[in-house]
Amino acid sequence: MSDGSSAGKLIEVEDITRVFHVGGEEVRALRGVSFGISRGEWVAIIGQSGSGKSTLMNVLGCLDTPSSGRYTLNGKDVSRMSDDELAVIRNEEIGFIFQTFQLLPRETALANVELPLVYRGLPARERRERAKAALEKVQLAHRMHHRPNELSGGQRQRVAIARALVAQPSMLLADEPTGNLDSATGEEIVRLFEELHRAGNTLVLVTHEPKLAARCPRAIRLSDGQVVADGPGREVALGIGAAVMAAGGT
Amino acid sequence: MKLPRGVRVDVLEGVRIALFSLKANRLRTVLTTLGIGIGVATLLAIVGIIQGLNTSFHRQLATFGANTLYVSKFPWAMKGDWWVYRNRKNFTMDQVTRLRSLAPFLSAISPTVQRVADVAYGGEQLSTVRIQGVTHEYLTISGYEVTAGRFLTEADDEVTRPVAVIGADVADGLFPGISPLGQSIRIDNRTFQVVGTLSRKGKIVNESLDLVVFVPFKSFYSSFGKGRGLEIAMAVADPTQVRRAEDQLVGILRRIRGTPPGLPDDFSINKPEAMAQTYEQLTGALYGVAVGVGLITLLVGGIGIMNIMLVSVRERTREIGVRRALGARKRTIVFQFLMEAASVSAVGGLLGTTAGLGTAKVVSLITPLAADVQATTVVGGVAFAAVVGLLFGIWPAARAANLDPVEALRYE
Repeated sequence: MSDGSSAGKLIEVEDITRVFHVGGEEVRALRGVSFGISRGEWVAIIGQSGSGKSTLMNVLGCLDTPSSGRYTLNGKDVSRMSDDELAVIRNEEIGFIFQTFQLLPRETALANVELPLVYRGLPARERRERAKAALEKVQLAHRMHHRPNELSGGQRQRVAIARALVAQPSMLLADEPTGNLDSATGEEIVRLFEELHRAGNTLVLVTHEPKLAARCPRAIRLSDGQVVADGPGREVALGIGAAVMAAGGT
Repeated sequence: MKLPRGVRVDVLEGVRIALFSLKANRLRTVLTTLGIGIGVATLLAIVGIIQGLNTSFHRQLATFGANTLYVSKFPWAMKGDWWVYRNRKNFTMDQVTRLRSLAPFLSAISPTVQRVADVAYGGEQLSTVRIQGVTHEYLTISGYEVTAGRFLTEADDEVTRPVAVIGADVADGLFPGISPLGQSIRIDNRTFQVVGTLSRKGKIVNESLDLVVFVPFKSFYSSFGKGRGLEIAMAVADPTQVRRAEDQLVGILRRIRGTPPGLPDDFSINKPEAMAQTYEQLTGALYGVAVGVGLITLLVGGIGIMNIMLVSVRERTREIGVRRALGARKRTIVFQFLMEAASVSAVGGLLGTTAGLGTAKVVSLITPLAADVQATTVVGGVAFAAVVGLLFGIWPAARAANLDPVEALRYE
């Protein structure tokens, strides 16, 4: 029955753990995390530093693989994939948006946006067309020949969002996307996310800011490597309502 | 369908990024390039000069004629105990006569005997001139040409005429501005009348072939004594049959000299070609050492490449993380850095080739050494440098590709 209901989910995370070995000591960053995200959802993953949310983001982004458990993305079990296969998944299924933008400093905005399509092996002309279209979506077509250091922080993040969008991935995965921006610019970016959500994109946003999480339709709170709340963003972010599970219940 | 796409991404992107980053770090690229360039230049200059030496040596040998053989009791390339050769019986004029009648495949044959002496005319004197007693047939065997007057004749020899034909250096040295023909030169207080001058032949291993005086064979014996052993110079009629002629000569010479069966030959058949082999053995050792030095320079250059690639990988750790996050596979990253290393080296190879060729050219202009660099050497130089770059780029590239993307993205 649960198989039937999860078949339609874009992301299905089942009892995932991630154990690191640091200097002979075991650090259990994720201790049995399970949830599902449907296509078109906008979900915040929230938690204090050390809660395991960064580890979870790396696993969701296929930059890391779980120690145990199962992670199904768009119908594909990615938890046991090889390095090369994961590279293809990252290219085709995931659009990354980082706190520090992570643009290549020596390339123009256009070249930065083209990059995922380069690794997909598209011909140059098609890459260019699609990258321009993506930059238009974030209202930066007029700055496409500028290098990152000639752009403001908000503009840089919009270039990064265009880069995440250009390959038409199954989900956008944003890690503290407003963390390096002033509040006005941050607001601009959140509005852009709202727009993308309305357009049907699946968004996963990792943040430690309750205010930001509260604006998401759904939020998952992580604490000590476990999910402690899962429900409407406002309730999870503010710690109210039925979404708050009994912490330490395991 | 997957493979061509992968190759396209790996190679084309690799080359593009490599060139981009080389352009971005111009000074560093130039310095790294210098290391490889100097290695290639050293190698090429040395190879060029030695190849040039060999070529000019062969060219000089060729003036002897490919169909000439020289028989004497000494081999040109002496191996082992000199006394063994020293104790062989001398050749005699009688043996030369018998050889002529027994070897119809020879088109020319001349006994030759030589010494070194001072030659004087008026107040001028030349020292260490080679005085050679030969017969009229020697002209065609030796490859000299008469520029004025005549060569020695059969009659000169028969009647022991005190005449001489002189080489170009002797003519220039003793008769600056005047015609030597009809003049009398003195060799050891013997007087010879100059009847002809010879074309210039150049040098062979720094010994002038033009500092020479030819006199009739019998005149030589009567003037300077019969003690010296003679050598027999000969030309084989059919240049394609030199090998066969050599084999036949062995039998004939053993018969003439009465060598008992079972004993080794008591004579040596010498060829200009054999001299070339000895010469190449000599330069070969030099070649080996020089190439070794060049390779060490290249090794140092290669380590320079490796060093700078490691710096480049460290510097671009975050870039590598970003590329991996956006879908670059490990081998795409490997290619990117390999291409960068190979491009730096290939550019270095090109610069080095140019510098090496230039050096060789300059050397050939200001010294008598003729430098000669072949096209294969140039292509080889550039390709070799690129391979050096690839080899020394492997480790840094592998380090780049094996970075954990999560760590790389976090790198400050």
